[in-house]
This record gives sequence, C-alpha cells and structure tokens, in this order.
Amino acid sequence: MIEITASYVDSLASNAAAIKNAQGLVKKRSFVQLHQSEDGTLLFAECKGSGSSNYQCSADFIQPDKPILRCSCPSRQLPCKHALGLLYAYTGGEAFTTAAVPEDIVAKREKAEKREEKKSQQTSQGAEPKPKKVNKTALKKKVQSQLEGLDVLEKLLRSLVRNGLGTMDKKVIKTMQEHVKQMGNYYLTGAQTELRRLTLLLSDADDREQIYTDVGEQLAVMHAFIKKGRAHLTSKLEDPALALDHESTIEEWLGHAWQLTDLKEYGLMKEQVELVQLAFVSYDDSARQEYVDEGYWLERDSGEIHRTIQYRPYKAAKLMREEDSFFDAVRIPSLYQYPGDMNRRVRWEEMAVRPLESHETLDISKYAERSYTDVIKKVKTQLKNPLSHANPLVLLHVAEVKQSNQDEVVIADESGQHLVLRDHESNGHRTLPLFKHLSASQLEDISMLVRFEHDMDTGQLTAMPLTILKDTEMLRLLY
Amino acid sequence: MSTDLLQELHQELRRIYIAGSDLALGDYRLKRMLPQFLQLGERAPIFKRLGEGIAALIEPKDAENYQSAEQLQDLNLLLTSVLRTQGITTPQGELRPLENHPVSLSTFLSYRKLAAVEEALTTTGSNRYEVVAHAFEEGMFRDLRLLELAVRALGDPYSEIAEFAMQKILPSYGAEVVPYLIDSFDPMGGKVESRKLQVIGQAGGEDVLDLIFQAAEAGSEEVRVTAIRLLAAHASFASDLLTWTRDKKKSIREAAYQALAVMNDEAAVERIYEAFAGKDIEIAAEAAAKCSSEQLTAWLVRDLGEELKHLLEYKEDKKKAEASQKKMRHVLTALEGKRSDTLYELYLEVSRQYSLYISSAGLDLVDAAAHYLEHENSLEALEALYALEQHNMRYLSYAFRASFRQLSPSALYEHYVHSIRNKWKMKTNKETQKKLKQFLSILEEQVIAYPYQLYPNLWGSPGESIYLSTVEMMPVEQVAQLWDSRWLDWLIEIQATHLVCVFARPDHTESQSFLTERMRDMTDLRHPSLDILLLGLERAGVDASIRLELLMNVLEQKRGGNLYSFEGPVLENLYQLPLSYQDRLADMIQKYRYTAREQLQYVWNEMERKKHEAVVTDSV
Repeated sequence: MIEITASYVDSLASNAAAIKNAQGLVKKRSFVQLHQSEDGTLLFAECKGSGSSNYQCSADFIQPDKPILRCSCPSRQLPCKHALGLLYAYTGGEAFTTAAVPEDIVAKREKAEKREEKKSQQTSQGAEPKPKKVNKTALKKKVQSQLEGLDVLEKLLRSLVRNGLGTMDKKVIKTMQEHVKQMGNYYLTGAQTELRRLTLLLSDADDREQIYTDVGEQLAVMHAFIKKGRAHLTSKLEDPALALDHESTIEEWLGHAWQLTDLKEYGLMKEQVELVQLAFVSYDDSARQEYVDEGYWLERDSGEIHRTIQYRPYKAAKLMREEDSFFDAVRIPSLYQYPGDMNRRVRWEEMAVRPLESHETLDISKYAERSYTDVIKKVKTQLKNPLSHANPLVLLHVAEVKQSNQDEVVIADESGQHLVLRDHESNGHRTLPLFKHLSASQLEDISMLVRFEHDMDTGQLTAMPLTILKDTEMLRLLY
Repeated sequence: MSTDLLQELHQELRRIYIAGSDLALGDYRLKRMLPQFLQLGERAPIFKRLGEGIAALIEPKDAENYQSAEQLQDLNLLLTSVLRTQGITTPQGELRPLENHPVSLSTFLSYRKLAAVEEALTTTGSNRYEVVAHAFEEGMFRDLRLLELAVRALGDPYSEIAEFAMQKILPSYGAEVVPYLIDSFDPMGGKVESRKLQVIGQAGGEDVLDLIFQAAEAGSEEVRVTAIRLLAAHASFASDLLTWTRDKKKSIREAAYQALAVMNDEAAVERIYEAFAGKDIEIAAEAAAKCSSEQLTAWLVRDLGEELKHLLEYKEDKKKAEASQKKMRHVLTALEGKRSDTLYELYLEVSRQYSLYISSAGLDLVDAAAHYLEHENSLEALEALYALEQHNMRYLSYAFRASFRQLSPSALYEHYVHSIRNKWKMKTNKETQKKLKQFLSILEEQVIAYPYQLYPNLWGSPGESIYLSTVEMMPVEQVAQLWDSRWLDWLIEIQATHLVCVFARPDHTESQSFLTERMRDMTDLRHPSLDILLLGLERAGVDASIRLELLMNVLEQKRGGNLYSFEGPVLENLYQLPLSYQDRLADMIQKYRYTAREQLQYVWNEMERKKHEAVVTDSV
C-alpha cells in the first residue's frame, strides 16, 4: 500500500501553479481510468488533455522513498500536472481499480533494475569509482586565464576608485557592463556576479548618498577576493597537482562549482545525518540573475545549522522545481558539506522523509546557545573575514523579550546580556511586526533562530528573528 | 577600543571614494587624524596598522610606485574588517515589557502557498481577487503571517479586495483582532479607517461602543458616517442620532436618518417625518423607504393625498405646483414597497382619474399606482390596470403580468387574443402594430431568458470554464400548464418566431414546418434567432438529423463577417454532429477564425478520437 499525503505531493511539485493545475484535473474529473497494480506499488491512469489521445501517466512506488512519475504528455515540467494529479486523486480518496501493470512500465522497471544492479556490482567490485582524469595542461591554461581576468578586474576597479564614485556616469556604467561580460570569458563567474552587483548598485540608485556605504563594502569584498584569489591561483599554478582549496570559500568566489565527488574526496562528507528545517526563504538575486531558495537546517546530532541553497537561473526558472518550506525530518545517507565556517552549505542526493514528532521539536531547543557573549564573539570572528558569509545564523536561547525607549525589540539571555533585533531590509522581509501578536508565553524562555547582519552606517550588529521554538511548537516567522 | 575614531575614519574614506582617490594625497582631514592612530597604535597594534595605511595613502614614501587606488582599497579592506568586529549589539535606554495583542493564530503554511497570497496582497495586477478569495476559502488566513496583510488589504487599490477583507476575512478573526485594529485606528482617516471601524463594530460587540461613539462625534466625515450607521442597533444612542440629523454635513444627516429608520422607535419615526417638511426631504425619504413603521406609512399616505389635492388646486400657479410635485415624488419614494388600505384607495382613485392626474402629477404617480395595483392580486385592481392600459400603452405590461397571475390560461388567451383577434390583424394601423410589438416583447420576457452559463473550455484549456451566452426557455411542462394551447396557432399566424420556439409541440406539424422554414431562411450566423431556433426545432420534435443538417448548411454558407465564437446552443448542437459530418467539417474549418475555429477544430478532433476508439473496439 502506498502511504502518501497531499502535502507530500505538494512537495513533489515544481511550483504552486503545478499544484493548482494538478488539483484542477482531479476536480474536473479529467482522469478517465484510475488503476493500481495488484501489489499496490504502481498507480496509473489515463488523463484527458488537449491532445487527441489521452495521456498515460503513472507513479511507480517500487522504491517507496523514490517514486518515479511518468507521463506521455509533452510537458517539459517534471513531474507534470498529470502525474501529480494522479497522486492527488489517490490522496483524495478516489476509487482505483486493480489492474495488471502495463507492459511499458514492466520494461522500464526491468531496465532500472539492471542499472541498479550494475551500479551495486561496480561499487562492490571496484570499491571506488575511477578517479577523474584531469587535463592538467588545460587546467593550467584556465588558471592562467583566471589570473589575467583578476588583473583586468583590478585595473577596472582602480580606475573607478581613482576617478571617484561621484563622477560615475552612464559611460562608466557601460564600461562596467562590458567588463561583466568579459569576466565570463576568463572563467570567473564569481567575479562576474560581484561586478554585476556593484554595477547594479551604482546604476539604479535614485539616491546615491544612500548606496555609497554599500558600494564601499562591496569594493572591500572585491578587493579582498582579488587579493586572495590571486594568491590562491598563483600557488595553485605552482602545485603540480593543481589541487582545489577545500578549506576556504575562495573557490566559490572565483566561480567554481563543487562536485559532490570532489567534496567526498576532501573528506567533506558525513554519513547518516538527520536534519530538521528551521526556516526557509526564497529571493531574487539580480546580481546572480538567479532565484535563490535557501533552507536553514539543524543537524539533529550536533545542533549545527546548515544551509541548503538552490539557484534557479532566470532562464530556466520556469522548468525548475521551486523549493518549499519543509516540515518533516529528513534522514540523509550522505551529506556533502561545502568549505566555509558557520552555516556551511550542504547538499545531498538521497533522503528519506519521516514526520517530525512533537517531542523532537522540544528536543531541538537543547542546542540553543545560552551565552550571547560567546555567540557574538563567534559571529564577529566570522564577519572579520570579508569573504565569509555575512549573515550567520544561530539558534539562541531567549530568556525574555523587551522593548527599548527607541522601540527596538531586544532579547536577553539568562545572564541578562542583551541583543537588539531588527528586520534586515536587504532581504525585503519583515518578521518583527509579528511579535505584537504573540502571547507572553511565546516570548519567554524560548529558542529563536536569528540571522545576523552588521550595518556599516550605524555600526550596529543586529539579529533578525526567523523562527521561534516554544516547547513543541515551531513558529515560523519567515517561511 | 575607540569605535568613534574608527567610524570617523570610515566616513572620511567614504568621502574619498566619492571624490576619487587621486585627491587623497595630502588630505588634511586624514592628516589631522593620523596622530591619534599612531598614539593609540602604541597600545593596540591594529591602530598602528591603520595609521600606516593612512600614511601610505596621504604621504607615500615611494612616490614612484604610488597607486592611490590600491592604498585606499587596502585601507578600506582593513577598516571594514575591523569595524565588523566592533558591531554594537546593546540597546539604547531603558527596557520595558513588549506591548502586544496576542492572537491565537499559528504559522502552518509553506513558503509556496504563503508567498502566492502575499504577492496577491502586496502587488497590483490581474487575478489577485481570485487568489485572495481562494486563500480565504482554504482557511489560509488562519496563518499568523497573513493577519497584517489582511488588515492592509482594507486599503487595497482594487476595491473588491478591500471590501472582501472588510466583509469576510477580518470578521473571521472574531473579537481577537479588535484590539489590534483599534491600535492602528485613526478616526480622522478616510475610507480605509472607515472600513476598519466597520470591522471593529461588527466584531467588537458592546466593548467598542464607546469608541464608535467617539468616532461618530469627532471622526472624519467618512468615519462618522460608518460609526453612526453602526450605532443604529443600540437604542441608548437614540438621542445622539436625533442630534446628528441636525448636523451641518449632509452625509452625516443621511447616515443619522438611515440609522433612525433601522431603530424605528417613536421619536425616530417622528424625526424622519418631521424632515419631510424641510430641506432634508430627499434623504429622509430614502430612510423612510427602509423604515417599517406603520405609523410613518400612515402619515405619508395622508400627506400624499393632500399633495394630490394641492396639485389639482395649483394648476395655474406653476411655482407652487412644482414644489408640490417635488414633495409628492419624495413621498412616493418613501412609500415604495409599502402597503396600506388607504394607499390602495388612493391609487385606485388615481387610475380612475387618469387624465386628471397625468396632467397635474405626471407619470411618476401613475407608475407608482400601476406598480402597486399589479401586486394587489384582486380583480378590482386588475380592472383598474386594464383601464390604465387603455389610456397608455406603457401599462400593458403591468396589466399583462397581473392577468397572467390571476386569470386562468384560457381566460388569459381569451382576453388578450381571442376577443381582439381581428384587431391584431390590422396591419395598416401603426398604433396597433406598435402595440403588438410591445405585447410580444412582454410575452418574451415571461418565457425566454438569455443568461450566461459556464461551459468547460474544452477547445482551449481543458479544466477551465468559460461563460457563453445561452437561451433559457420556459420548460415544456410549465408551458402546457400555464398557457392555453391556442397561443401557438396565433403566434404562427403573426410569425412570432421566438415565441413559436417556446410554445412549439411535437404534435403540432404546422409549428414544425414553420420553424424548419425559418431555419432554412437563416443566412447570418450572428442572427439573434439562430440559437433559439435550434432549441425550438428540438422542442417541436423535428428530427435531430434534419436539425443538424440545417445547422450545417448555415455554417457552410458562413455569412455574417468574422464570428468570434459560437455561443451555448450552437456549440451543444456541434457536439452532437455525427461522424459522417467530419469531412464537411474539415472543409469549412479554414473559413473560421479565433475561438470559433478552435471550437470547430475540437469537434473535429473528438470525431477523430471516436473513430479511433471504434476501430480499437472492433479489432478487439
């Protein structure tokens, strides 16, 4: 028997529109025949569509944690609304008649089985997959090109700084945009993004005064990564193995996309990890020209907070799955971690989902940091490095919430150490207004996931609350 | 560590970034700061490094290799790192408990669901109302994070959403949300605040009466109007309502009268009646129309009678007559929908003295009388209506509707057709022809409606529905029950096609041939009769194959310019076309454009599919 819930089906869908369309199909009774196999591992149906013949869609649960949704429709969206609709029909309690598994599915199952077999044979025999062959000459050439690119970028920045931001005009912006394009030719996608960010900052501001501080900070970041990048690339050239730097974030800044196999090779993989999502956010990063879905997850065994990041390029956004808040616990056989310090980015390929018990939510609170002094020290150490993630996330224990004369919301730890909360306008969301709707008990002796930010103009380090944990309840203030 | 000094340096660097680092050489403001850094540098090495950085920027030792931009960037990077370790985290001033209005809402929506509603409520564009209404149906507004947006929706530029928030979303939170609304309520505000007050009044109960009273006394005009209307249900504010009927602003007085009409106690009724003597007669009349007080009705009927008398007297005096007419009209407004014996007598008198009153009082009075009599349901009233009909054709419809309700089917036919059959035939008489035309349209109103109906959009996006115009005829059983069978013959005789469609019977061969002929004459696809004719042929029992063939002919001729889309009845007939028409259909599809073409294409596709299925079943 297949045990799935509507919310699980929601999570399979690429976006909200797919959910709506799929549910629409069920409502409009577009499914002509609903069948399930005798062993209950396969659902299949015919669905009326705009084509002349019905679509054949199916959901194969032969591996219950990895259902395969198939459909004969030409949609490029995966899974398509027909396959999702089939699952909604199932969760909605529609009648499914028992029927024999269609031949094409049998064939597909056999093929998949063979693939699996081959894979397991390989792992058992050869143990390790063959190490990738790296064309060192080509790589060397690439590194040299990257170094050249950094020189070009530095030259551009120098001329900008020498002439002053006040003299910035359309012509200069145009030169900058041209350089943005060039960076791609030098294999410096990271540099490209940062230069685009700078260009955007300078080009669309009505009130220049306001953005100069941000520009100053951005210039510092870029200066830092040119310096660090050059040093790293030069030493890489001298290294006969041309190895990647797996300890700092510099590779990512330069635009390297880490492969899971690389991460594993450098020992950045953990086995059997259980994660619980504490918060989620999705935003439009115009400098990257991508939508970014970020999840903040707590590791059950260590209390570490990780980040999952999915980039959806504008051009492909329609066809890609938009991530969503996740309310269940996930068990991950192999968790890959990116280099970095706090809240390192993580990725995984396989996961098993199970509902989160309420006592487990309660249990999470034990990881809440109790001394703000220690946390702030740690955060500041991270912020000191301009190439570190500028918005570390920490789960704090909050003894009480107060309000100051300036109407700032302030949290205090047990020893009376204070920390000012503030909504960070940079991400466009506000969570503090919700505080006035919370009851006193929801603001006392709680755990709070916060995101730090240093404001250069005011010189303040503030925290934005994302999620509150009180006893067995998880109150998501953001998403 | 001296954070102030660091901040100062940060500001100076910002200045140099704006001006350009070429101007940094020898900068006197940085020069002035330099000694402080060097001094602090003796104790804290970081200040020493910063001091060196400043020196390298403004007083380079190696002038030849000096790169002002490089030096500035280095210094800025160092300072940024230092400043980031100096962030202030402590609050300013005294701390006090957090002010809050707790609500019992939780956060349960996932990002994708929440974001869609957030977007609908924070942007402009189409389809937002549907998203919001759907979210409300699904109970999504029970999520804490939507509360603030629901309140904000009161000011949505699309007024339907604002009204929806006021009428549905916010009241669903109950009393819990009231303190929060009160918190942000500004009695001097405009429409948004007035809507807010409406919710407060609805959900707040007795506790908020004082607040509403304050708003009624001292708010902005819009807020006062809402507040006063909210007070109508509370007798304790009766005296205040009376006071407000003497307010300077008309809208306030209007609201007060409306509230009094709802309150309906002695003083209230007296005050409304009193207003008929003054300048507020118009708004008082509208309030009176909503007041159920019998006393008030009696007074107004008495006044109406007097006014009618005056009108007869003032025939010569134009000014007085006009004033009297004006008053009469307002009294008529106030009496709309009210019934009393005296009023009946009065209207009966009006109908008897038609020519007298039409000249003194005008159509308004007679219309009111006819309307009253139509709903009286007595033979006496019916006679009065017939009398009116004789005077003016506009009362034909009143009289017919009353007859239809009161007379038996045969009596109705006798009265309207049989007794004057020959008169109807006088084609030369323009007056009669006009009357006939009007009579037929009255008949059509009784038996035919043209509603819009939802059809599944099978040809475009299946799963969605689309509104198409359709024709609704009185059901066959009702026609048989309520109408004399002789109507059909007469209708064919005068060639009233639409009505023949309704009254047609399978046992009536003449109607079959009449309608078939009509359909054959049909040349224009956009002719208003095409849809109803198809239904009429069906009702007449004409064989479906003949009907579809006739339709096919019309389609193939295709006259009437570019038809955008086929409406309901034609579409339903298209769906019935048998497979044998497939080729003919294929030939003519090219002639059509837009939706009409898609519809035809869909019909053809369906035929193709059925053909396939048939083949499959055969082979099995």
